[in-house]
Amino acid sequence: MTHKILDRLLSSGTDAAGTEESTGEAVSAEEDEQMPTSELSGDGLVLKYPPMDEPVIDGETLVAEPGAVTALVGPNGSGKSTLLKGLAKQLAPEDGSVLLDGRDVHTMDTKELARKLGLLSQESTSPNSITVENLVYHGRYPHRGFFEHVTEADHAAVNRAITLAGCEDIRDREVGSLSGGQKQLAWIAMVLAQDTDVLLLDEPTTFLDLHHQLEVMEIVETLRDESDITVVVVLHDIEQAARLADKMVALKDGSIQARGTPEEVVTERLLAEVFEIDARVEVTQRGPRIEPLQPRHDEGEPEQPPERIARADGGDS
Amino acid sequence: MSNETVGDGQAAGTRDTRRFVWLFDPRLVMTALGSIAVVVLAGLVQVSFGSYSMSVGQAWSAVVNPDVLLNQQAWNSFLLGGELPEMGRKSLIVWSIRLPRVFVAIIVGMNLAISGAIFQAITRNELASPFILGVSSGAGLMILVVLVAIPSFVLAVPFLALTGTQGGLLGGGATLVWLFGVAGAWWYGVERRQLRAIGLVGAVLLGGAFVAVPGISLPVGVGELSFAVSTLLPVIAALGGIAAFLVVYAIAWKNGTSPVRLVLAGVIVGTVFKSLQTALFFFADDLGVVQEALAWTTGSLTGTDWEQVRMALPWSVIAVVLAIAGARQCNVMLLGEQTAKSLGMSIEKVRFALSGVAVLAAAASIAVAGIVGFVGLIVPHMVRNLVGSDYKKVIVGCLFVGPALMVAADVGARLGMGVITGSDLQIPVGVVTGLVGGPYFLYLMRKKQEMGEI
Repeated sequence: MTHKILDRLLSSGTDAAGTEESTGEAVSAEEDEQMPTSELSGDGLVLKYPPMDEPVIDGETLVAEPGAVTALVGPNGSGKSTLLKGLAKQLAPEDGSVLLDGRDVHTMDTKELARKLGLLSQESTSPNSITVENLVYHGRYPHRGFFEHVTEADHAAVNRAITLAGCEDIRDREVGSLSGGQKQLAWIAMVLAQDTDVLLLDEPTTFLDLHHQLEVMEIVETLRDESDITVVVVLHDIEQAARLADKMVALKDGSIQARGTPEEVVTERLLAEVFEIDARVEVTQRGPRIEPLQPRHDEGEPEQPPERIARADGGDS
Repeated sequence: MSNETVGDGQAAGTRDTRRFVWLFDPRLVMTALGSIAVVVLAGLVQVSFGSYSMSVGQAWSAVVNPDVLLNQQAWNSFLLGGELPEMGRKSLIVWSIRLPRVFVAIIVGMNLAISGAIFQAITRNELASPFILGVSSGAGLMILVVLVAIPSFVLAVPFLALTGTQGGLLGGGATLVWLFGVAGAWWYGVERRQLRAIGLVGAVLLGGAFVAVPGISLPVGVGELSFAVSTLLPVIAALGGIAAFLVVYAIAWKNGTSPVRLVLAGVIVGTVFKSLQTALFFFADDLGVVQEALAWTTGSLTGTDWEQVRMALPWSVIAVVLAIAGARQCNVMLLGEQTAKSLGMSIEKVRFALSGVAVLAAAASIAVAGIVGFVGLIVPHMVRNLVGSDYKKVIVGCLFVGPALMVAADVGARLGMGVITGSDLQIPVGVVTGLVGGPYFLYLMRKKQEMGEI
């Protein structure tokens, strides 16, 4: 508990890479054995896709607070998913490093990493005729040796994951016969079965109907409230992100524009700058509420909106 | 399965925890039994008919003849190549001529089927077959080179070959190719550190294939090793296939590889080698050589013997065991590269290892039967249709359905022309697999909406 507070203080207080790195190492060295939560941090990350010269992310530092939910938000093409891929070792950084509890993930064995860090990709494919249960069992892959058979621990983890993801009723259905929302729940169950300390989710609610969006959010909320899993989630919907996250990070054009609690990040000014929209933000008990008004078009106009923001700000406070 | 799960709820795990319980999936059992029935029936036809005709009853009693079946010396002779014991004429024909051919067909069918299944998983491509990564074209080219260009073999050091008096041009050409092969493959290896070993092995194999140059009289002091072409051809064909696969992999490699890169590289290498192979046909001046080359490149079981069983069996056993062991990796691979990676799979290592198993199986079948097409493409699809997409079941299913198709097709290859025209002519089994498999594939495609989906 003390560490949580410490981390919160430190990560909100500073952006300097050095401090964060040393914090991570100190925590891991001290608590390696009984550490309940894991810290994932990207340090001075430069990420690009091989054929291109321009990096998508150019030297950003991000610390996922242990045991909390960090949401990455930003417009299309802002580099949220790229950053997530970088954190998940799916993309090797040109520069900088990703540290999991102080250890560079690129020095870790792939299976060892997969036991600690899970990733749900944006698009997942599977054979149509595989059952949900069998799909979820694949989440146990990093826990099994080459010739090893499923153990009691595997069964337990799979059952837990299926219950948590609310997939009991579709357990024996074939994945090909499921709706998009049900498929997503099945995939979430699979990464949950992986039983990791850190979970990265890439737009888990996109393309889902409202019911399934809320289902997914509920799962993440459960993880936040009842477990020590560190979650980093990329979300399209900023309002959802604000409701779900302990910490939010806003990106635009590959650089981090703002970070902090949802209340700190979701402001009308930020929406104007990062998302290029005029919107009204209302602080409610369930977090900030956003009412999008209109898109901002080009450089000629910006005189008008700041006034509106100023007025709205005045009204709120 | 669904019933018990629903009944048990989510409490203590709904799965049967016994390790091989999946083997008793009724669909898999039915598939296996059906296939075995086909193999037995077709095998019985094979042993009964032929130029020495006997009744089904006679053939059957020869097959189950306890003097052979329980005779250790007989099996010793079959499997290890020892002396054949005394036996009756019918038993002799059945056991030393007709049955081994059925066994070879079974082995080849198994190998091709699992090879195709593995390649379909790792390339995530429905059209993948054992020969998608250049194995067939490499083997085919080597077969042509051996049959057409090289009448007899001398194993020699290539540099010395240049000083030879005969075959100077070919020897020199082969040496150049070898040198460039070594240099090129080594360069690949140096550039991409992980591939250094692959590059080197490829170079050696590529070189090794060319080391054998035609009848050259060597300078004094170098020992000569002469082989008859027929004894070395299977091995050379298999090695040519493996070498081509390594070349394909080296070409496809660029900071790792991907299914698309692999398939494209396979197509490129295949095209080049096929052209060379076709070109070599023009240099064949003997119709017999052309026919032999055709038999090899379309796949034939004519004249196969216990020797072929002995040659293919050990490799096949290894390949089958590894394929079953690797089935779970195939399953995870089917979830897509990204998911496989995030589950902690070292995807490049696993892909190369699985390819190696598949190529081993394909090469073993090439060595005994030549390049039998279509079996490796169609059998995995048939099996998936029968047992679902779980690769553990697919691989095991392939072990039964592959032989069934192969043995049945060989009946047509061996006896078909006799029935149609009354002649003794045997056609290559590869022709029949295409003729039988094609329409069946078409039927499946028409009947099943999602046919072909992996």
